[in-house]
Amino acid sequence: MIDVKELSKSYSGVTVVNIPDLSIPKGESFGLVGNNGAGKTTFFRMILDLVRPTTGTVTSKEIDVAKDEGWKTYTGSFLDESFLIDYLTPDEYFEFLGSLHGYSAGDLKEFLSGFESLFNEEIIGKKKYIRDLSKGNQKKVGIVGALMGTPEVILLDEPFANLDPTTQIRLKDVLWEWSAKNHLTMFISSHDLSHVTEVCERIVLLEKGEIKQDIQTGDSTLKDLEEYFAAY
Amino acid sequence: MIGTFFSHSWKEQFRSAIWAKNLLANVFLGIAGIVLVGYALFLGIFLNKILEALVPDGQPLDILNGVIIYYLAFEFFIRFFLQNVPVMSIQPYLHLPIKKSKMINYMLGKSAISAFNLLGILFFSPFAFKVVAELNGSAAGWGWLMFIIGLALSLHYIVLLFKKKLNDHPNLMIAFVVIFGLLGALDVYNIISISSASSAVMDMVIAQPILGAIPLLIAILFYFLNFNYLVNNTYPEEISTKKKTGNITGGQFAFLKRFGHKGELMAAELKLIFRHKRPRTTVMLAALLLAYGLFFYPQPAYAEMDFIFVFVGVFITGIFFLNYGQFLLSWDSGFFDFVLTRKSTFRDYLEAKYLLFLSASTIAFVLSLAYGYFGWKIILINLCAYLFNIGINVFVVMRIAMFGPKKIDLNKRAAFNYEGVGAAQFLIIIPIMILPYIIYAPLAIMGHDIVGICLTGGAGLIGFLFREKSLQALTNYFIKNRHKIAAGFRAQ
Repeated sequence: MIDVKELSKSYSGVTVVNIPDLSIPKGESFGLVGNNGAGKTTFFRMILDLVRPTTGTVTSKEIDVAKDEGWKTYTGSFLDESFLIDYLTPDEYFEFLGSLHGYSAGDLKEFLSGFESLFNEEIIGKKKYIRDLSKGNQKKVGIVGALMGTPEVILLDEPFANLDPTTQIRLKDVLWEWSAKNHLTMFISSHDLSHVTEVCERIVLLEKGEIKQDIQTGDSTLKDLEEYFAAY
Repeated sequence: MIGTFFSHSWKEQFRSAIWAKNLLANVFLGIAGIVLVGYALFLGIFLNKILEALVPDGQPLDILNGVIIYYLAFEFFIRFFLQNVPVMSIQPYLHLPIKKSKMINYMLGKSAISAFNLLGILFFSPFAFKVVAELNGSAAGWGWLMFIIGLALSLHYIVLLFKKKLNDHPNLMIAFVVIFGLLGALDVYNIISISSASSAVMDMVIAQPILGAIPLLIAILFYFLNFNYLVNNTYPEEISTKKKTGNITGGQFAFLKRFGHKGELMAAELKLIFRHKRPRTTVMLAALLLAYGLFFYPQPAYAEMDFIFVFVGVFITGIFFLNYGQFLLSWDSGFFDFVLTRKSTFRDYLEAKYLLFLSASTIAFVLSLAYGYFGWKIILINLCAYLFNIGINVFVVMRIAMFGPKKIDLNKRAAFNYEGVGAAQFLIIIPIMILPYIIYAPLAIMGHDIVGICLTGGAGLIGFLFREKSLQALTNYFIKNRHKIAAGFRAQ
């Protein structure tokens, strides 16, 4: 689904990402872990054509994401608040996204009704701009927005950070459900090792832009990762 | 889609925190805008009469045709400094299934609806129809107007492109200024004549109105060049206003540390000032306004008007705290909770600010001694104004600044930034225009102006001697209102 070839990014001589070869097949839930500055977000940004790679390419369905915009129609993403139009209310934002995906008013209502438990009555129908929402609620808006249009690929940067425990659990349920139901390819980066090992089938560990480990999640993965980071 | 973009732009404007929280400033700006439009239209309507009055023995049309090239050169520079395309505003749309080309077309198209383009139309249309069409037929009038508007529009898109390229070649601008300056000088000294070239071109357009379409074609060409550039360069980190992650400046304030805790606070404040564009501009303005006296002192017309000199003195010696101090707490709004919780008394916090203002005023006063060239009286006036500033005005400004301060985002631009503007900025006129005159004006009217000046200075001196009391009063007020102020900063 997503193939990375000779990808690197450097800023004034310092290489922050260097991934010679990486393939993520369709339907895989892919977890990215690494300390601050490991290059997780930069890698995600290059997949989304938000950062110009210094060398190499990212292809989505064999098409270079920097050359053709076709991937946008089947890729949902939420990395940070700059993905939100912060002067709209959540309703207006969802309506706008819905219009991009050809949702009717009924479709939109039905789609959003699937997230009632996640929203906890704090988001829909409230006369509040996105910029005035708490960090956690902004994140919910972004994640649900990314799921709109039944994407084939979804990228989430630190989806569990800033969320309350209940929402973290609910979000995990949502991700499992979507990945099973829609054969969704997921990219999730997280500092929360237990969440990411629970949700993802495959974990890649980045350190200073390089892949240090690439493992299928098993019973001992969490413990192995904890040991790795403790010894770092 | 275009409709949606428009509605988003509209909402962005009217929902911006500054708009809602600063209605007063916006009303003021709105009125200023209307006045400006009125002026442009008024000037346009009476342009031929004005030109007749200025150059009695020439044809208004000939004169205008000759100077249009200068007008355009001027417009180029103004546009260069003020015009901007809000490229960053497309960031939230980049990951969505919207074609880039659509967004860029919208952005470029919308940018054409700008004050510059509107003012040009208002300014030249009346002349085109009243004078050009009258003399040479309405086709010529249209051609002439189209030619000028087309050029303005071309400039619009040229500047947009030019500015992007210029990020890499900052010296290019200086080269342009020099070239335009040289050409102008050559014209003035009749070595070559740009104005006659300008006239010749305009006459050709009047003779052949169809030529008026050429600049429009140029504008379209540059539109597409812009488009091409943007399509290949819509990466947020590349288009965002170049953040120079360059050297850390301001380590040189280390000497202040010798003055203990208050010195540290002052050093921190100086770092804040010199590491951010907007506060830095206030310092530069203060330095620039030291020369303000040159406008007044040499003019014989003002020679007997000590009235104005008092104002000039207050301004010269106090401009830094008048300008910077009116946003006293707003500068710290980004980390105000830290200000409230750190290990430092509020008294020290405010006193450090006072000492900073005192030093700035003292430096300004010492430098202003050079104005002694224009007579001892000027020194006396400036000395008294200085004493009044450091003893009374500075506390008044600090107190006014605590009157519902607004948040300022330090990382935003300096020019035309109305963030932080609130009621205080309208009250600041009091220490400048009213307070210094309370003692001085009545005495001056009775003919004792020297006595008035000295008493004003004396009042300032007394204020300075009792500065501890004023600082304590300010601190008490600050302590009483600190929660309200902090909540105000947080809410925005």
